[in-house]
Formats: sequence, structure tokens, C-alpha cells
Amino acid sequence: MTGRAKRVGQVIALAAVAGLLVLLVWKLAFGSGGGAASELAKGQHPTAPAFTLSRLDASDGKLSLAELKGKPVVVNFWASWCDPCKQEAKALEQAWRQYRRQGVVFVGIDYHDVTGDARRFLEHHGVTYLSVLDGSGQIGDRYGLTGVPETFFVDRRGRLVGDHILGPITLQKWASAFHQGLQAALDS
Amino acid sequence: VIVRAAAVLVAALGLAGPAAACAQPRTSLNALEGEIMCPTCHTTLDQSDAPAAQRIEVFIRHRIDQCATESQIKDELVQNFGAGILAAPPHKGFDLLAWWLPLGGVMLGAVAVAFGVWRWSRTRDPEEEPPASGLDDETERQLDELLARLD
Repeated sequence: MTGRAKRVGQVIALAAVAGLLVLLVWKLAFGSGGGAASELAKGQHPTAPAFTLSRLDASDGKLSLAELKGKPVVVNFWASWCDPCKQEAKALEQAWRQYRRQGVVFVGIDYHDVTGDARRFLEHHGVTYLSVLDGSGQIGDRYGLTGVPETFFVDRRGRLVGDHILGPITLQKWASAFHQGLQAALDS
Repeated sequence: VIVRAAAVLVAALGLAGPAAACAQPRTSLNALEGEIMCPTCHTTLDQSDAPAAQRIEVFIRHRIDQCATESQIKDELVQNFGAGILAAPPHKGFDLLAWWLPLGGVMLGAVAVAFGVWRWSRTRDPEEEPPASGLDDETERQLDELLARLD
């Protein structure tokens, strides 16, 4: 009986170690890593990670990316505490006013931010496009965000296209990428 | 003199006003800093200078000024940032598991060790008994008689 109990204990211990090993391998092989951004960087066009988030421009409304299917979407991650986001706010608003006639939707996703600060930011910078709150940062993580501001382009089929812009679009190196990304979202 | 006294009284009331306005003792930023995480740098607020952490500190100060209690401030932060903003999980609901599981694990381990020691001591007992002589009864009887005669 003693020998049998010992063997059962050994089997349980081995199973626990094997389970942990499998989890580790799974995490390394299939872990989110760089999120959708890393797939985009490899030249793939992954489906844009879905989200349903509280709107900052309406007290109790929610916005889902699925609602925007069929329209090209510019997804811009920002935060009120981020200085480069202040730099690009005006340029984004201008781009939105210019492209909305072509059916493009701009969505600002406020990342890890205090709601009150975010609303003041929108008011101060005169932002009129859709803005939602990603307070926990889960959506940003799924997109593979490395910081703010960052911008993604979603085509009519809900796929990420163009370049993933890291930094404010006011920087010269990203200004052309922004327009190319918008064009890619409109064309596909 | 009356005007000066009135000015002093107004100033004193002005200083005492904010402190006296709260129905219960105010919490402090120091008390909360170690219990709230900076969402972008994954350390507690007191160890972070990140812009996001600074904005959360401003929010907490503002709510303290408005007499919000510690639990109210925490609830508002959880509503805004999710449960991950708290350095430790709350003592309620499913999160209780995070507190009780480690304790249960330690207790289970202690029981397992105690059981192991008990089993080990039981298997050791027979070995500590004096070894048998290996003589048959008749030989032992003769030996006892011989020893008795020698005595």
C-alpha cells in the first residue's frame, strides 16, 4: 500500500511538472507577444482586434468596432497625459474633417487614462471624431501597442492594412505613412 | 481692532474649512500610493514617475479634497482602469481566492509534511527494537538455566 501511495504521489508530481511545461511552451509558441502589430509588421493583414468600449463623447454609450464594418477606420491610440498626443490632435482632427466625406471613420482610443482628463483633452483640442476609453489597456495590448500615440488602419473588411504608425503623425516620417495607410484602407 | 480680529477669524475659518468639511477623517495620498498600480509601468504609484501615474495621483488628490473615502476612490479607479489598478485583489467575491488559496496551500503542505513525518516515524519504530537472538526456545531455556547457575 505504501509503495502504491508513493507511486501515485510521484505520478501526480510528474503530471504537475509536465502541465507547467506545456503551459510554458504554449505561452512561448502562441502567446500574444506583439499582438496584431507584430503580424502587420510581417506583411500580414490580420483582422483588427474587436472592441466594445465606453464612449467619451456620450455619457453612457458604447462603441463596437463591429458596428463600423464596411467602412475604412483609422484607429488612433492616445492619452491625455501624453505630450506627443497633444501635438497630433489638431492634425488628426483636420484629417478627419477632410476624409469623412469619403466615408472614413476615425476612432480615438484613450489608453490608460482618467475619464475626466480625457474629456477635458477632447474639449481643449476640439476633437469631434469618435472617442472611447480603454482604461484597462486590454485593447491596446491586443493591438500590440508599445506606447501612445500609435495609429492603425482598418479596411472595409475589418483587416489591418498599411503601416502601424508609432508616434505622432505630425512627424514628417509618419505624415506620408498616414496618408498611405488611409489610402490602403479606402482602396481594399 | 474689531476689523483685524474679524480678518483673523475669517482666515482661520478659511484654513480650517477644508479639513472640517469632511464628515470622516480624510485619507491621504501616501496611504493610497502603495495600493494603486501605475497602469503603464506596472509598479505602485509611489515607485513611479510615469505621466500616467502622475495623472492618477492628481485625480486621487482631487478626490481626497472632495472628501472621498479610500474605498470610494479605489472603486472609481477600478471602474476607470479595471481591477488591475489595485496592487492587491479586493477581499470579496471571486478575488477572495487569491487570498485563501496560498493560505490553503501552506496548510495543505503542513498537513502533508506532518503526515510524512508520522509515516516515517512508524516505519522506523520496528527497526529500533532490539534484534531477536535467533535461538530456539529450548536453547534459550538452557542458556537461562546456565546463567542462573553461574549467578
